[in-house]
Amino acid sequence: MATDLRISNISKIYPGCVANDNVSLQFKSGKIYALLGENGAGKSTLVKILSGVISPDNGEVFLNEKNLKLSSPLDAKKNKIGMVFQHFNLFETLSVFENLSIDATEDNKGLRVRINEILKKYNFSIDLDVPVLNLSAGQKQKVEIIRCLLRSPKVLIMDEPTSVLTEQETEELFISLKKFCDEGILIIYITHKLKEVLSLCDEVAVMRKGKVVSVSQTQNEKVETLANKMVGQKLAKIKKKINISKNKDEIFKVKHLNFYSDDPFETNLVNLNFSVKKGECLGIAGISGNGQNELFQILSGEIITPDTSIIFRNKEISKLNPKQRREYLMAFSPEDRISQAAVPELKIYENVALNNFKSSNFFEKGLVNERKIKEHSKKILSDFSVNTDNVELKSQFLSGGNLQKLILGRELITAPELLICYNPTWGLDVGAINYIHETLIKINDQEKSTILISTDTEELLKLSDRIAVIYKGKLSKIMPSEEVTPEKLGVLMGGGSID
Amino acid sequence: MALYFFTPFIAIILTILGGGIIFYILGFNPIEALKFYFITPISNLYGFSELLLKATPLCLIAIGLSFCFKSNNWNIGAEGQLTFGAIVGGGVALLFYNQEGFYILPLVILAGAIGGMIFALIPAILKTYFNTNEILVSLMLVYVSKLLLDYLVVGPWSNPEGFNFPETRQFSDSSRMPLLFEGLRIHAGIFLALAAVMLSWFILYKTYLGFQIKVSGLSLKTAKYAGFKGKTMILVVFMISGACAGLAGVGEITGPIGQLHRMISPDYGFTAIIVAFLGRLNPFGIIFASLVVALTYLGAETTQIFLQIPKYTGQVFQGMILFFLLASDYLLFFKVKILNLKKNELRH
Repeated sequence: MATDLRISNISKIYPGCVANDNVSLQFKSGKIYALLGENGAGKSTLVKILSGVISPDNGEVFLNEKNLKLSSPLDAKKNKIGMVFQHFNLFETLSVFENLSIDATEDNKGLRVRINEILKKYNFSIDLDVPVLNLSAGQKQKVEIIRCLLRSPKVLIMDEPTSVLTEQETEELFISLKKFCDEGILIIYITHKLKEVLSLCDEVAVMRKGKVVSVSQTQNEKVETLANKMVGQKLAKIKKKINISKNKDEIFKVKHLNFYSDDPFETNLVNLNFSVKKGECLGIAGISGNGQNELFQILSGEIITPDTSIIFRNKEISKLNPKQRREYLMAFSPEDRISQAAVPELKIYENVALNNFKSSNFFEKGLVNERKIKEHSKKILSDFSVNTDNVELKSQFLSGGNLQKLILGRELITAPELLICYNPTWGLDVGAINYIHETLIKINDQEKSTILISTDTEELLKLSDRIAVIYKGKLSKIMPSEEVTPEKLGVLMGGGSID
Repeated sequence: MALYFFTPFIAIILTILGGGIIFYILGFNPIEALKFYFITPISNLYGFSELLLKATPLCLIAIGLSFCFKSNNWNIGAEGQLTFGAIVGGGVALLFYNQEGFYILPLVILAGAIGGMIFALIPAILKTYFNTNEILVSLMLVYVSKLLLDYLVVGPWSNPEGFNFPETRQFSDSSRMPLLFEGLRIHAGIFLALAAVMLSWFILYKTYLGFQIKVSGLSLKTAKYAGFKGKTMILVVFMISGACAGLAGVGEITGPIGQLHRMISPDYGFTAIIVAFLGRLNPFGIIFASLVVALTYLGAETTQIFLQIPKYTGQVFQGMILFFLLASDYLLFFKVKILNLKKNELRH
């Protein structure tokens, strides 16, 4: 039976922000719909309304002309609306089967039969009896999808599903989604990746600032046209000119980097060796969870490993803590903006004071020099076009993009010789991504070096001079980026080898 | 944010209501009993002086604890640090038991602070260098110090003219805190508490140490990333906390008590944990909280006298304050909703 989902005049207003402004959309089964928009465009709010997590201030949702009262996630489930979130809701230490049986309505025997049917039908290869923590991100996502399929959904909503997947896994996902679609499940695909929209979806709705700005057939769209609709302004294309740095000095050299941990959630690192030249960007690609976290922390000095040798500007720094490394003009931008790089409960100027290098005089004789810190913070806010000039604002009120600008600004204020960043644009919208990319390129232009650890291959190809891939704690050989293609990276990131 | 400082008041109101209900169940007129509990004790000047007398050690200890708690260090053993501070300070006072001199009291006080500090360093060092759990170690050390005090007052330090009572000699007047008013027990120790409030406010909000404490309390990951010296900070906050508890202990023995015996503290060190949280770990909040909690001690005594209820009701009230505080903090952002679901609907 055909499914018809209609959203009618939905509005949701938060204090100081209209998240959804009179949104009306119509979806019919047999097609895959993309919901495209920057962060903060109102996609998540809309999805949360559809899945019953929040209630709209105004407007209605109709499923096959039946007015749905979605006041809790339970209601969404009852009405056969399934949701796969970006972050998985699985118990890591329980087996796949146990995870699926938690909210099942039938006995274990019947459930196992039905799961096996689904596995067979869609060619999923997952061992039901291994703990979820042993699964790859793609497999975990499949478990989530199976959980939805077990309820024979009419609508399946996928929220940024590819952010953790390899290229290979993404392709597999697309094949499955197309199959679901053929079987009459209505699919709504939320993303800010333009290429995915073009390759997967039939129709695309673009949201901007809470409003639907366009609904169109994807066959009539191109990456550029969609990007312009999404951002609302012409985007200048940036492409880095490759730094010809064959004869330049090596400013940073890592030898025998080993890390061993008993923690099953950490990755061991095995004998990493690499170096960075002056003015160069070294990209380190990989699917998240292959040792990037550990590598970043060792490079920043949060973890000290015994036998590693790290030479920076001809000095051995492997035993220094992050603060001491900063004095030697290194800077760090970790992946986790909210609980590591900055503290949301702190005011902007207090977060700036976290980078307390000696010449800053932020703290004189152990006392806080608030005036100095605030002066400095004001400069960062304006130099890095953060959309506020109030240094007393708590950082939790900054959007991801603005927070990242603040962090980069804070790290760059010392004019560091080497910046190490890990997923600097993770979860940001196109405008902020461009800004950050331009900033990173500018750093290289000024003959300063960067190490870019990233899970975004496009970003790596755009910014790096040389690229290596980290897989299961081992580093591939380092390649000049003009020799690297996305396909090559994909193979290496998935554990394959190239010659 | 405003609610954050408001919940302590909700907790106090709920505690009063809860107390009324308990009195009612016990067969008393709740209004009457609550009046005996909360009003009678401070209805005269003497009572008010007693309130400040009890609030002084609570405030001092809680101020110290706020340094630990703010930076995610769970020092539960302030009672032990208080006791050890009293032992060291009392030991110095006993050395001078037959001497006079203006320098004696400062020496005694200093010794008390150092004693508390050293005792607090034990869990801190074990935590930083051997990765032990400071909650367990600091708590267990309470019993160590209490037994040590017990041994001293029964054995080597007991008063030779004391007919084998488990207590030491009386300290000389030079080792006693000056009284502020004739006939009242309130003594100069209150200035120590007020000085600690000011100083802690300054350290917490105006110094690099305070900044590090704040950041570590909010996110240990960030503290590590910023390169703060985590180990040094743990040692420092424990030392501050121990010194404050030691001062409280020495304030008691040189103030109202005047000698060492077994019962130098009615668990001030534990009760101060409630004070610290009720005061939101804020120096000025702690002043207010210490007065409220001190009143529960006094109220327990008056209800014992007038209504023949055991004075342990005081602990019931203190427990209720903490319980209601935690509950209102936890439930603050909850919305109560009555669900009308059939049982198996929950499984869908």
